[in-house]
Amino acid sequence: MSSVMETSLATDGPADVIEAAMRPFRKPSKKFRAVLVVLAIVVAAAIGAYAYQLRMGMGVAGYTDSSFWAIYIADVVAIIGVSYGGAVVSAILLLAGASWRAPLVRLAEGTALVTVLVGAAFIFPHLGRPDRLVGMVIHANVASPVFWDMIAITTYTFATLVFFLLPLVPDTATLLAEHPDELGRGRRALYRFMSRGWVGSEHQRRVLHSATVIVAIVIIPLAVSVHSVLAWAFALVSRPGWHESIWAPYFVIAALYSGVALVILVAAGFRRGYHLEAFITKRHFVRLGYIMLSLGALYFYLTFADLLPSAYVGESGPTEIVYGMLFGSVAGWFWLFLVAGTILPIVLIALPWTRNIWGIVIASVLVVIAMWIKRVIMVVETSGYDRLTNSFGDLFHFTWVSIAVTLGGMAAIALLLMLLFRTLPLLSIVDVQELADSEAGPIEASATPARGSHVRAAGVAGAVILLAAAFGAIGVTSAQPARAAVATESLPIVTVTAVEAGPLNTVTAMVTLDGLPVEGVLVNFYESTTMFAPGDNQVPLGAMSTNATGAAAITYTAAVTGPRTIKATYFPVVLGDPVVGTTEFEVTEAVSLYSPTPPRLLATAGQTLALTLFGVVAIVFIILIAQVVRVRRSCGPARRA
Amino acid sequence: MTSLFGIGRHQEAPVDFGLSPEAEELDQSRRNLLRGLGLAGVATAAGALGLIAYRDEAQAAVAAGASGQEHQWCRVVDLRACKGERKCVAACQTRHGLPPEQTWMRTLSWHDEAGEEFFMPVMCQMCQDPPCLNVCPVSATIKTDQGVILVDQDQCIGSRACMAACPYEARYFNWNAPAPTNKMPEQSPNTLQFPANQIGTVGKCVLCADRIPYSSDLPACVEACPRGAHFIGDLITDVAVNGQSTVRLSTFLREGNAVRFKEELGTNPRCYYIPGNGQPVGGPLEGVR
Ligand code: SF4
Ligand code: SF4
Repeated sequence: MSSVMETSLATDGPADVIEAAMRPFRKPSKKFRAVLVVLAIVVAAAIGAYAYQLRMGMGVAGYTDSSFWAIYIADVVAIIGVSYGGAVVSAILLLAGASWRAPLVRLAEGTALVTVLVGAAFIFPHLGRPDRLVGMVIHANVASPVFWDMIAITTYTFATLVFFLLPLVPDTATLLAEHPDELGRGRRALYRFMSRGWVGSEHQRRVLHSATVIVAIVIIPLAVSVHSVLAWAFALVSRPGWHESIWAPYFVIAALYSGVALVILVAAGFRRGYHLEAFITKRHFVRLGYIMLSLGALYFYLTFADLLPSAYVGESGPTEIVYGMLFGSVAGWFWLFLVAGTILPIVLIALPWTRNIWGIVIASVLVVIAMWIKRVIMVVETSGYDRLTNSFGDLFHFTWVSIAVTLGGMAAIALLLMLLFRTLPLLSIVDVQELADSEAGPIEASATPARGSHVRAAGVAGAVILLAAAFGAIGVTSAQPARAAVATESLPIVTVTAVEAGPLNTVTAMVTLDGLPVEGVLVNFYESTTMFAPGDNQVPLGAMSTNATGAAAITYTAAVTGPRTIKATYFPVVLGDPVVGTTEFEVTEAVSLYSPTPPRLLATAGQTLALTLFGVVAIVFIILIAQVVRVRRSCGPARRA
Repeated sequence: MTSLFGIGRHQEAPVDFGLSPEAEELDQSRRNLLRGLGLAGVATAAGALGLIAYRDEAQAAVAAGASGQEHQWCRVVDLRACKGERKCVAACQTRHGLPPEQTWMRTLSWHDEAGEEFFMPVMCQMCQDPPCLNVCPVSATIKTDQGVILVDQDQCIGSRACMAACPYEARYFNWNAPAPTNKMPEQSPNTLQFPANQIGTVGKCVLCADRIPYSSDLPACVEACPRGAHFIGDLITDVAVNGQSTVRLSTFLREGNAVRFKEELGTNPRCYYIPGNGQPVGGPLEGVR
């Protein structure tokens, strides 16, 4: 546990924190209003574009069958991804005891909350029929990764909300106590509700702290799960480029990387807008920059690790995907991502001359944009790859609709953040005060089960294999002697007999000419069927030559029971009319060659996994709710002292 | 991507229906074709016997009525007969009111080195372990007890996870408002078996399941093929028809050295291909359209 202190803060004192936290509550400046209006227009345009898409179909957003997943799912991944930044800055640094995080946590957690909400909202334009979304609950398929996406995102959103709200209890109480008049009616009512019963007693603070730590512990695996399951929505299908075992960790690192970048941007924005230079200093940016640099290097490495095996083996699908990235259809975008998204930011932070606020902010802008581009490439390229022809169809074309909706999402993030911090304090007063007092609170580590992984649950269950009833001894193929039919013309006669021995039927044809056996002629056998246009449908059983006694026999396994007509034909003259003999008989025993496909090897494992995951999700919810309840109860009348 | 085997080496091996084939040679040529098509896995292991997977299924349980069902539908495509007329495609488009870019049935084509073209119709393979069904978050894809995979157009939320999952690219999406159903020659009752296309949902070959048990009408593609390349079959009664002739399914598959597409993916498709087009096989993959 390291606890590095920012000593510069100590001089500012708590009063300043409170004042700074309330700066956004003042009458908004002209600039603020202008920005708000512009953002609102962009969001409104997006809503309009989306309404148009709803009416006309997703075709207007540029979607086709060769780009069936494209910009919107990339938006979901990218925007939910950046929300991991909040988790890392707030939760990981909290657990690591890095108390310098104090002035950033509220901003980071707010960003996490807003981005996860906006990111999840992009599922709507991604769906063809968002009006039926309730189906995910009322007739869900637990074997589907998309179902677990929903579960993971819901759980994570709830945890983010709790993580955001818990520290607000003492903060809102402080503000209410110190500046009730400046808050305004709406905020006062809200704050009263949130901080009901909080008096800041030792007991309350202890409970709150331990609750926060527990939520922080829970939120990290939850964030990992969200980005993993998002990756598995891709990796659990057999498409080249997506079906990669590395994708889940790859997505998690991507989320962390772009998330830290966004936290830097948000911090820089609010620092400038509300003059928080006294709290958020260059050292904060440098430290976040270092974290971003390590993640960037890691992401660069994972990109290489992702591509090398595909390129090396040379299997057509994966190779074409890699080729497309390096030299083919998306190469321009890919190299742009690589240079602007990993190399440049790393250089900007690594070089001492650019390792300042401006340099780091530029690096973050590059990261956020380039990581979005990377997500689009990953989605669009593979979705355009046709696995039957091993070639690319038309890749995704951006249209004004999809661009407007995406821009609207970005604007919504900024807009919601501005509004959020006009409502709630943007600095974590308690944390900053604690930091100023140079006191690190006791950190209770209580282990909670981590909700980690999801594997496709194979759905097939319970096909029973009945083992074969023995094919006993092959039935006697004794042919009954042909009835002496007196022929008046010199045309051969075919007589047929059929004998059943278990499921084995032996049919025999006697070919005679004027009572004498005909040897060496080919007889074709047919069985009538009730299938497909019943009546005259004859299934060929095979052909056999007659022996010296004029008999030809064939043995076959009956597939179905019931009355059957057996037909034997023989062509005495090539291209002439056949001579036909028939007999009727009842098949009483039959064996169908068909047997159901045996269940998949890991089918039961998949079911067990799904059940386990439900259990884990339930436990996570219980833990989260318990923390809220604990804090609330500590504020109850009995425990206040 | 180049074939290991000489192109055209087995040109003289036309496949004969009723008679026992020259097994080894055929198998070789089949393997070449498979290498070209990526039909794969089974091919190398199959040896002279061919049809490994079908056999496995058949041998795993030779018990009557193991499924408890009367029918288990399957398809057979006799590639020897297909000359790329694409009448099956047209018939399907018409019957289901599909726009030109939505081809539930599509016919791939190759050119070999001699410039000759050969064909392979591909449609939903009616997988018995369907990846599309597994990934559907709202259970809108279902498998009937007779082995037909269908999509409930009234439940589909349009997530397109199934399109991502289908290894046979058999699914299509209604990106724009589809043509009104009353323009269809035969109006769709909007059932699972004969869906009416809806905006924002996914569609695919339904095996013309509304015609089950195919007693008077066969699937549109089967009826449309002038060469009898498409068969509809029933694994339980062991019969298949192409509208022109009737065959004993197991014999037909065995003697034609039938294979299934992308067997190695474990989808257990219910569509059997009888390879060999009377043409040299093993053509380069690049020529595929
Ligand atoms: S071919 Fe595709 S759509 Fe058809 S069942 Fe198999 S996976 Fe599903
Ligand atoms: S079976 Fe019916 S739905 Fe399927 S391809 Fe043939 S015509 Fe189309």
